[in-house]
Amino acid sequence: MSKLLIDVGSTYVKVCQKSGISQYFRDFKKDIYDDLITKCGDIFSQYKKEDIFICSSANGGLSTLIIGLTNSFSLKFAKNIAFNSGINIIDTILYSKIEESKSPGELVDVVIIVGGIDGIGNVFDEKLLRYLEKVQYSNIVYVGTAQDASFLKEHLPNLTVLSNIITHKLHVNGNELKEYLTNLYQADIVGKEDIKHLYEITANQIYSTPYIVNRSLPFIDANFDVVNPFIVVDIGGATTDIHYSRDLVRDNIVSESGYDRLVFKKLGVFKSRETLIYAAKNNEFVYELLAYLNVTENILEEESEKALRILMQLSIFLVLYKVSRLNPLYVTLQLELLKTIVLTGGITKVLNYEEVEVIISFFYKKVMNVHALPNIVMDYDYAIWTLGMENTQKEEK
Amino acid sequence: MMKVVTGVVGNDIHVVANRLIDISLQARGFEVFNLGVNTSLEEFIDAVVETDADILLISSLNGEAEGWCRDLQFLRSEYELKDVTFVIGGNLAVGEAKQSDIIPKYKSYGFDLVFHQIDLNTGLDEMERYMREKQ
Ligand code: B12
Repeated sequence: MSKLLIDVGSTYVKVCQKSGISQYFRDFKKDIYDDLITKCGDIFSQYKKEDIFICSSANGGLSTLIIGLTNSFSLKFAKNIAFNSGINIIDTILYSKIEESKSPGELVDVVIIVGGIDGIGNVFDEKLLRYLEKVQYSNIVYVGTAQDASFLKEHLPNLTVLSNIITHKLHVNGNELKEYLTNLYQADIVGKEDIKHLYEITANQIYSTPYIVNRSLPFIDANFDVVNPFIVVDIGGATTDIHYSRDLVRDNIVSESGYDRLVFKKLGVFKSRETLIYAAKNNEFVYELLAYLNVTENILEEESEKALRILMQLSIFLVLYKVSRLNPLYVTLQLELLKTIVLTGGITKVLNYEEVEVIISFFYKKVMNVHALPNIVMDYDYAIWTLGMENTQKEEK
Repeated sequence: MMKVVTGVVGNDIHVVANRLIDISLQARGFEVFNLGVNTSLEEFIDAVVETDADILLISSLNGEAEGWCRDLQFLRSEYELKDVTFVIGGNLAVGEAKQSDIIPKYKSYGFDLVFHQIDLNTGLDEMERYMREKQ
């Protein structure tokens, strides 16, 4: 008996069977479960609950606030682990600046506190407690120096204490925190009215979609026409994710995982269309780019098929721009070393290869000043996601 | 046991001295956190903060330290680093330069000990003497 794989996104639902992939636009008037049953009830009835696997990005994922001692170690390591666990980072706070830091206005799913190697004490003090009084959060986890755990535990009764993510060699030790965050995601799904009913369809754990994509990366170059180092750009309705080989970054993180993920929460073509347009209008290259595509900026206000294509092209450009040297605030990838760009997600249903190539060649010529382009691979059939789903199940067994 | 953070600053890849420094410091009884070559000044400071180190020992072999180390005072003021001893050594200028120019310059950046083209063991002996007197 074969398996049924389902991805519930913010705009589409995709369903993958041996016979191929079909996809459906979400009906936002219905809750997710009813919507799925209406559209795919017949398909579900052909499979056992054990053979149905679901991942979801529909609930937007968990949000985190990270408080760390330094940029180069605590914050960098925790950010890396959080992104790779499929979690969205709302803000990061450098502990030395905590007294001047604002608290996030929204409810945070999990606060992560980190700093210091084991053996040093008194890193954290009342300043932290005072700040946390202002923050609304559901969970809080400590992954800093072991010596401060008891002080913090005493004042923060619902604190979870895990082993330090900074090793004695100043390397990253991410496994425990990653497991904790992944489990929290499960707990969160169970708590969300809309999604928890999905467990009536499947007997298996529901994962977040970016986590599944991240899991497929080590296998991509063996399964596709992809040469390392590569990036995978997943442009969806609400967010844009970029997964990249660690060979493309020069930093001090030493981790076993060869691939990292970054999320651009505000670069989606449907749900976060406004912020995408805002980012585009503020980009120094945008007018030249629009001229190059033979359109004017009025297109950004239109609601047409053509406008959607242009927005998709803009989002490819903006993502590349954000990870390039021109934008040092984000992670900088050495894009001149890049061999392959893989596009997956909703974008492959809208743009064709030529439309993608046009924009990537504009980027390489104008921003990078090089003429040789990386190889472009379009994942039209969500094969990456299928690969990730299949491998995640194998590991479960 | 005293803790030392060390490494080579900037885009400098000369690694041999860095290895020797790691070994010598360990042999002298220090606990060593070696960040290796290609290390930014901010990473050095951050490593001192994370490890609560007593000494920051920076090497520069290709001479580019002049460009990087000016920011030391600024970075240092970001944290309360009172008791840390700052040491730098290697080739501290590009091309020829006089000790009498180099030493005051790096001291003005905030280094306590400056070793321009000084043999490692001579430098480390002096550093240990300095630390004993400091205590
Ligand atoms: C090997 C070497 C290379 C190799 C490095 C391989 C590697 N991965 O390590 C290669 C070929 C890659 C290289 C490249 C370059 N190099 Co080169 N290289 C050398 C060379 C020949 C030997 C360095 C060495 O390993 N020595 C052995 C170690 C043990 O000695 P050391 O490095 O001098 O360190 C001692 C002391 O400096 C001291 N020390 C070091 N740090 C500290 C700290 C403290 C606190 C103390 C007390 C002492 C101390 O202790 C060490 C042991 O006694 C030197 C010339 C020379 N003979 O020294 C040039 C030299 C260092 N390189 C030089 C230059 C200019 C370059 C390049 C810029 C050349 C170029 N134009 O591309 C590039 C730079 C690359 C980069 N990004 O950093 C110059 C630097 C000149 C300057 N500062 O004014 C030198 C001095 C050559 C010269 N005379 O022009 N180089």
